Amino acid sequence: MSQSLAVTAHGLVKNFGGRRVVDGVDLAVPTGTIYGVLGPNGAGKTTTLRMLLGIIEPDEGERTLLGRDRPREASDHVGYLPEERGLYPQMKAREAIAFMGALRGLPWKIGRKRAIEMMEQAGLGYAVDFKIRKLSKGMAQLVQLLGSVVHQPDLLVLDEPFSGLDPVNQEGLERLIRAEQARGATVLFSTHVMAHAERLCDRLAIIAGGKRRFEGTVAEARGMLPMRAHYQPERDGPEVAAILPADAQHNGRDWVFPIADNGVEALLLKLTQSGFGVAGLSIERPGLHDAFVRIVGAEALAQAEAEAL
Amino acid sequence: MTGNYRRALRQAMTVARRDFIATVFTPTFLLFLLSPMFTILFGAAGGLGASTVTQGAAGRARIVVVAAPDQAAAIVATDRQLRKVFGSADIPPPLDIATPSGDPAAQARAAVMERSGDVDAAIYGPLEKPTILYGGNGQNEADYLAGLAEQTLRAQKLGSTATLSAPIKTRLTRTAVTASGHNAAALFAVMAIFLLTLFLAGLTMGTMAEERSNKVIEVLAAAVPLESVFFGKLIGMFGVALLFVGFWGAVASQITSVLPAGVATALAGVAPAVGKPVFALLFLAYFVMSYLLVGAVYLILGAQASTQRELQMMALPMTIVQMANVGMSTAAAGRPGSTIAWIAEIFPFSSPMAMAAHAANSSALWPHAVAILWQLLWVSLVISLGARWFRRGVLKSGEGPKRKRKQQQPASS
Repeated sequence: MSQSLAVTAHGLVKNFGGRRVVDGVDLAVPTGTIYGVLGPNGAGKTTTLRMLLGIIEPDEGERTLLGRDRPREASDHVGYLPEERGLYPQMKAREAIAFMGALRGLPWKIGRKRAIEMMEQAGLGYAVDFKIRKLSKGMAQLVQLLGSVVHQPDLLVLDEPFSGLDPVNQEGLERLIRAEQARGATVLFSTHVMAHAERLCDRLAIIAGGKRRFEGTVAEARGMLPMRAHYQPERDGPEVAAILPADAQHNGRDWVFPIADNGVEALLLKLTQSGFGVAGLSIERPGLHDAFVRIVGAEALAQAEAEAL
Repeated sequence: MTGNYRRALRQAMTVARRDFIATVFTPTFLLFLLSPMFTILFGAAGGLGASTVTQGAAGRARIVVVAAPDQAAAIVATDRQLRKVFGSADIPPPLDIATPSGDPAAQARAAVMERSGDVDAAIYGPLEKPTILYGGNGQNEADYLAGLAEQTLRAQKLGSTATLSAPIKTRLTRTAVTASGHNAAALFAVMAIFLLTLFLAGLTMGTMAEERSNKVIEVLAAAVPLESVFFGKLIGMFGVALLFVGFWGAVASQITSVLPAGVATALAGVAPAVGKPVFALLFLAYFVMSYLLVGAVYLILGAQASTQRELQMMALPMTIVQMANVGMSTAAAGRPGSTIAWIAEIFPFSSPMAMAAHAANSSALWPHAVAILWQLLWVSLVISLGARWFRRGVLKSGEGPKRKRKQQQPASS
């Protein structure tokens, strides 16, 4: 049984100034899912989202948005939070939300009413008549986010939505994303922070260097790496390394190594017989972060994280 | 297809509404609305100052007649009669009679050369062949003294200075407006369209810059086709223009009832050849054409610029072109039917102003039908090209230096 797709992209290509920024990206976002587009900074995530939304046209490739070949025709059913947040500083908060709704076809009157309700639910009821320039950066960001969902879109596209938010607001945003999914919306968001993607995404795509490197579920991404053992010997010493796999790493009192296909039992037996014993042993599945590093490359990730600080 | 048009129109109107409200409901709009009054007030204040200085100097000025007492009485009587023909602004300075001393020439020269410089002109010698001396600004006073000598001599020959003619004066009100009244209306139309268009196009460009600096353009571009943003901005500022024109139109229609009778009569003489109602319609039509043409160009320029400095640099050439256009149109207003008037009426960017002047100067209506069609052609051309350039400019600058920098970073793996 095939699931309907809210967004599809086939071979999207975009060049800027002779440089290929997006290089043949394919995407298929199932309706009603939370879908993450992951990648380091400069990977081409924003450009891909902009092409999907019809803000810019691809040089090559095709895309559909909510079943329409022309993304503009679906714009009333789409909500979008751009990476570079932008609001009119002189507008009142509720007017800003209503304005963004009105751009998507929501009558002003309903937009204003919903804006007040949503701001009250978000704990910002006292600020409905505040001008945007009077709001803190986090509050203004929240107002823009509310503006992107005020018309109750079928598809919500969020470009790096967590950047610039404190941990409390990040948690609030995760709740909002789940609430939007519960309402029936499809959520497509880009990020280079794995923790959010790991908690939220039903499916994800990893983009690096303008190409799609992975597409699947979080579990499938994590499954690309073997399970990992954290072994703590009763008696440590350099001889332990000779028994452990070659890629084992010494981390404090622990040895961390990937578990081979034949399991860990034989290795433990050998360690015990050699007199090192087992003071502790835990087996873990690698996180999305590790899978991402493996897919994208450690160097690119380090660069991305340094830039995110 | 109809749905798409309806949606595009709705989106354009949403942008227009935002721009209209953001412009009108601000304290600075009051300044903009009242700017013509400030111009008038500053002009009046400047005029008053200049007039005070002039009157101060004029109050001290004198003309001198060096004449024996037997001649002096006749000269004074003639002077009294002659002064009646002058208005208060042109009346010659008061006349002083100086009794001749040993050397009347030296006496007259001394009067004119006096350090205070209050004597503009002096006359001495026999009335049949008098000598008149005058200072730097005394040419008119010298002419007056010459006329005074002539009239005094004529009166002496007649044997009386008494008036011989007793005229009956009857004031008539002209029913037809003169050519100069038409010219004045033409000039008014040119200047009004020029100033309004320039102000509003500048405002439109400013709103574009506002969206850039606030980064709202990405939100708009995602929700609304940029063509709708373009039209929305034009419509929003057009709403501002209508408010402005409506306000000053209402003021102008009532102004004659509160002005002094003389000024009101003079203003009544300023009238267009096609009649006021038709002229009002044509003025509105030409203003719309001019605004759409110039506003579209400014909006395109605004979309290409990334910074305020770039914005100003880009606006400058267009402002200079507009100055040339208003120059041509003003010439067309003063010389209807001339070659320059033809050129101004045909060149698309000066055509609305020049044709408004044409409406003030000539009662023929058919040229306006042709002109409006011609201008509509250019408006659609400029707007369709403008919307494309606008889109290209906005999206090009949307990449931004930050994003370009990011894109240049390698992504390994």
